[in-house]
Amino acid sequence: MFQSFRSAMTWIHTWFGLVLGFVLMGAFFFGALCVFDREIDKWAIPEARFEVQPMPSFDRVLLPEFEAMSPSLETMQIWGIVADNRSSLIDLVSIHETSAQGDARTERVVKMLDPRTGKVTNGDHFKIGSEFFYPLHYSLTLDWQGLGEWIVAFSGMMMLAALISGIVIHRKLFREFFTFRPGKGFRRSTLDLHNLTGVVALPFHFFFAFTGVLIFVGQYFPIGTTQLAQLHELHEQLEIGESKIPTERSGHAAPLASVDAMMAEARRRWAAHGMPGEVGVIHLRFVGDANAHVAIYPAATNSLQDLLNGVHFNGATGAVLQVDPAPNAVQQVAGFLTGLHLQPFRHWPLRWLYALGGLAGCVCIATGLLFFVEKRKHQHAKQGSQAIHVVDALAVTTVTGMVIATLGILIVNRLLPDTLPAGWPRHDDLERYAFWFAWLLAMAHAFWRTAPVAQGRMAPAWVEQCWTITVMSVTAVLLNWITTGDHLLRTLSDTYWPVAGLDLALLTVAAIAALAGRKIKRRAENASMIAESVAQDAARA
Amino acid sequence: MRDALLLIAAFVTSIAGMGWLALSMDVHWRQVCGNAFGSPAPTKRLRALGTLGLGTSLVLCLSVNHASIASLVWVMALTAAAFSIAFILTWRAHWLRLLFPPARPTAG
Repeated sequence: MFQSFRSAMTWIHTWFGLVLGFVLMGAFFFGALCVFDREIDKWAIPEARFEVQPMPSFDRVLLPEFEAMSPSLETMQIWGIVADNRSSLIDLVSIHETSAQGDARTERVVKMLDPRTGKVTNGDHFKIGSEFFYPLHYSLTLDWQGLGEWIVAFSGMMMLAALISGIVIHRKLFREFFTFRPGKGFRRSTLDLHNLTGVVALPFHFFFAFTGVLIFVGQYFPIGTTQLAQLHELHEQLEIGESKIPTERSGHAAPLASVDAMMAEARRRWAAHGMPGEVGVIHLRFVGDANAHVAIYPAATNSLQDLLNGVHFNGATGAVLQVDPAPNAVQQVAGFLTGLHLQPFRHWPLRWLYALGGLAGCVCIATGLLFFVEKRKHQHAKQGSQAIHVVDALAVTTVTGMVIATLGILIVNRLLPDTLPAGWPRHDDLERYAFWFAWLLAMAHAFWRTAPVAQGRMAPAWVEQCWTITVMSVTAVLLNWITTGDHLLRTLSDTYWPVAGLDLALLTVAAIAALAGRKIKRRAENASMIAESVAQDAARA
Repeated sequence: MRDALLLIAAFVTSIAGMGWLALSMDVHWRQVCGNAFGSPAPTKRLRALGTLGLGTSLVLCLSVNHASIASLVWVMALTAAAFSIAFILTWRAHWLRLLFPPARPTAG
């Protein structure tokens, strides 16, 4: 079928890259945004705009809230507190049993608490960063049967194949390692940028595609519940036997001991082991029973793994039951591979480098799509084929359309009032609709305004969407100012980086989009002038 | 503060290292100096300097963080450095003369 190995690799790279490039672009773009997910949350929820606080007193502040969230102590299953090192509001999760029509089911109640006041926040806030962009990154928010995760995972696999086939078909991998020639024609410079962003950031692309696929390995190889189910159960029994952590209620009522004292003991133990840290996560089970269990974990700051070094207490007596053993070699490798992707740490230089790596991935995929169109558009124009029109429209939808959708959700977030009129959908639903609607509009516009590509010309959709991005970015910054009073001068002078950073990023996006729009317009005008003069010369001849 | 300075030093040495490696390639030497390597060609010296630069950057990263994080910072710093050098070569190639004084246009 193929004349050579290289042509086979070219086929794989081109066609899988084209089909899955659209999905991968989303995974890379929203992945890059997820580096700043908690910061985006703070931009979207004005009540969360304050510095990260230490964990408040459990006994005085958190316990009354949990008691209010749970119908009774007998039915409580888990109380969880998550105060990671970048969120200002603390998440309280209460899971309790409900017996609806005889079936034992569980219900989950989530609240956000302001640790400064000890009060839960009002209204249904939507954490756009960690509750929308984050799931979008790995599942496209297609939850039915885990379909989105399968699609993204398959695309991740093909990303690995595209990277390897890309290396095979690249003729001058080392000789052109540092090469970008913007003056050498559109096709050449597009390919240069594709190669540069692909090769230079290869370690990033490879490790993120690989670890991304690896994190969901249980989804596609569920051997723990299929082939190795018996071994899995046996292992579970053994672990329970060795552990001192209770797995069920004793049936004897006992009040909860001071969790604040347990937190102090956990902090003391971490410091004694040379790893001083704040409490990040607390898990409580069987509260009110003599077998109550309290697990306390540190907030990861400069480590790749969270939920390590947990200290487990008997909740009724406050005595230490056990300390998590040091991870074995397999756990360490697994922790490194998943931790490098999930980045629980607060290492800002590394986080920024990750964001740049993700954007380099976007540039690599986008230039790949552009090169596909450029290479074929004149040939397709001669043949009268519309295929290239579809590809270009989808490229516009994925590149500029995705940015428009992202700006759409930010704008609507700032436009919606805190309390919505009765009968309206919830905040999170409305903001999601805004996102998809903005993307749909961008797609419709892209199909409408890319028709000239089929005649071998530049599509006006690119320029128009660039300008739309500029207007929308500036609008988002202005709306943030109008609705919260937090303009850039204030956030910069307060050095409140989560909000100042996002506003500055939006203005940078506006400037880049305006420059890109101007440049594309000039190029299109030059191209049409050349085409006209060629046509006039031909007519004269 | 000490950590921040060490990390900045790690970024600077990785950029210098990538710059030296780029200069050791004929095509980029031409971009920077406008002519081919003189004789003897400084290729080996430049490659050695480049390797030293990247190696120093790794040591600096390791002096700031645990090896697990430091390795990631180093790999990503190399990526950022390679991008910087590629774009310097595109728009301000003569800047790289600063890295290697013998790299200058020769008369004739």
